[in-house]
Formats: sequence, structure tokens, C-alpha cells
Amino acid sequence: MATIATLSITSADLLPSSPLSINATSTLMKADNSVDLHMMESGTGELTVAASNGGVVVKEATTAGVGTAAKVYLCNKATDSTYYIQVKLHDIILGRLYAGDWMFMPWAQGDTDAEISVEAEGGTCPYEWAIFKEGETMVART
Amino acid sequence: MATINASINITSDIPYSGFSLSKTMTMTKAGLETGIENTNGLGVKKLAATTAVVLELAADATASGANKLYIRNTGSNKAEHVKISFNASASADTTTENIGRLYGGDWMLIPWEANGTTHNVIASPSTADEVTTIEYMTFHE
Repeated sequence: MATIATLSITSADLLPSSPLSINATSTLMKADNSVDLHMMESGTGELTVAASNGGVVVKEATTAGVGTAAKVYLCNKATDSTYYIQVKLHDIILGRLYAGDWMFMPWAQGDTDAEISVEAEGGTCPYEWAIFKEGETMVART
Repeated sequence: MATINASINITSDIPYSGFSLSKTMTMTKAGLETGIENTNGLGVKKLAATTAVVLELAADATASGANKLYIRNTGSNKAEHVKISFNASASADTTTENIGRLYGGDWMLIPWEANGTTHNVIASPSTADEVTTIEYMTFHE
């Protein structure tokens, strides 16, 4: 079982002296060992400005997730260049995903106040997300 | 104006039917269709201690823009990591906002708010037993 994330960043004219080419490939594994991540959640949605005002939680952090090697992918699928999604990690703003932008980041959930939330600005933003993570302890039957 | 393209490809066999996605973005300025044209260049740090270090200063970028931050742990050791966080300084741990851990080979590309001094980019290796090499770059307005 393997999940592989590959990145390519290129530019012919950003650097005056030479073309830029960055390539990276990572096999996503659990924290501190060589066992593959084996859980995944994903979804799509549509953020309206009004409904997401103040932020809508994409995923709650959990105690079990603290210190793990989870990874998060998020993409703003809007096409109007003035529309953006503000992404927050609890109460700190990570940044803005403008139309067509995507992000991929580790999510260690340093504490349970580390939820990922999103908020549309400018106009309605369709978006998609995926989280790759370690297993969860199932709740015992009552 | 520069043209910077960033592509991601993810494949996974976690779902029985498999999963794959591919996306390419062209990095543009906030609210515009013109390309981002500033960078501090591709940086490399070789860290032999667990002491936190500053990778990038938020003051170098325009706050609340369409800035992007790339970081990669170039090692191969999946048992050790470098913690990435936003903070005012490398020593003020009480105000650190922990983003996540990059284990050997892991990379990240995220939007970067670059607001004041609270969004300086900090790296903290988990081990001093080996050299942790970090590659990083910002693309900013």
C-alpha cells in the first residue's frame, strides 16, 4: 500500500541566470517508521462567501492525530482570478489560495486546536480536498 | 513578469479502486493574472543540531498576497523529521504555530500569509545525530 506525491516547479524566466526546475517525490509514511499511511479521506464542496464567513472546518484535529505524519491537499477550483480561499490552521492564517491554486502540507496536529478551516472571499469557490493519515482507533461498541 | 508553474501528482492504492490526481497552477499575483516575479532564491540549510532556525522572513514578502512557500526535507530517514512552524523568532517557542513535520523525502507547498513577524518560517530538526538538509524557496509579491 503506497501513496506517492510528486511535485514539479518550473520557470524559464524567474531567475535571470538560469531556468528553475524543482522536482520532489515523497512516499507518504507513518511518523517515525517505514509503514505507509493507510487511511484517506477526500471530498469536494462549494464555499459561498456568506456561508463560510468566519470559516468552515474542513477537518477537525484529533488527539490521536497529534504528532502524526498526515498530509493535506486542498485546491481552489474557482476560475475568477479575484476569488480566493483563506486557509487557516486554528487561529492562524496560512495564506490565500487564489483561483486554480492548490496546496499540499504536513499536518502534525500539534494539539487538538489545530483544525483546518477555509473561508471564501470575493465569490463562490468550488474546492476539493484530500487527507492522507494514519489509522484511527475505532470506538468500542456500547 | 515571470511564469512559474507548479504541478502536483498524487497516486494512492489506499482505496480499492485506486486514487490519483494531477493539478497544475501558474503562480499569479493576488487577484490578477500576472505572474509572481519575486523570490529570495533556492535556499539550502544543513542542520546538525535540534536548534530552531529561521528559513524565511515574512518581512521580505507582501503580506496577504498570493505568496507561496516550498520546503523539502532532502533526507531519506523516515524516522526523523524537521518541524515546520510560523513564529516571530526561532527562540520564542511559546508563540509557535506548528504546521507539521517533514520526514525524510517529504515536501510541502503552501500559500504564505507573510503577515508581520508572526509568519517567519521556522525549522526545527528532530535529531542532532545526523545532518538534516532542508531545501526551501518562497515565491512572493
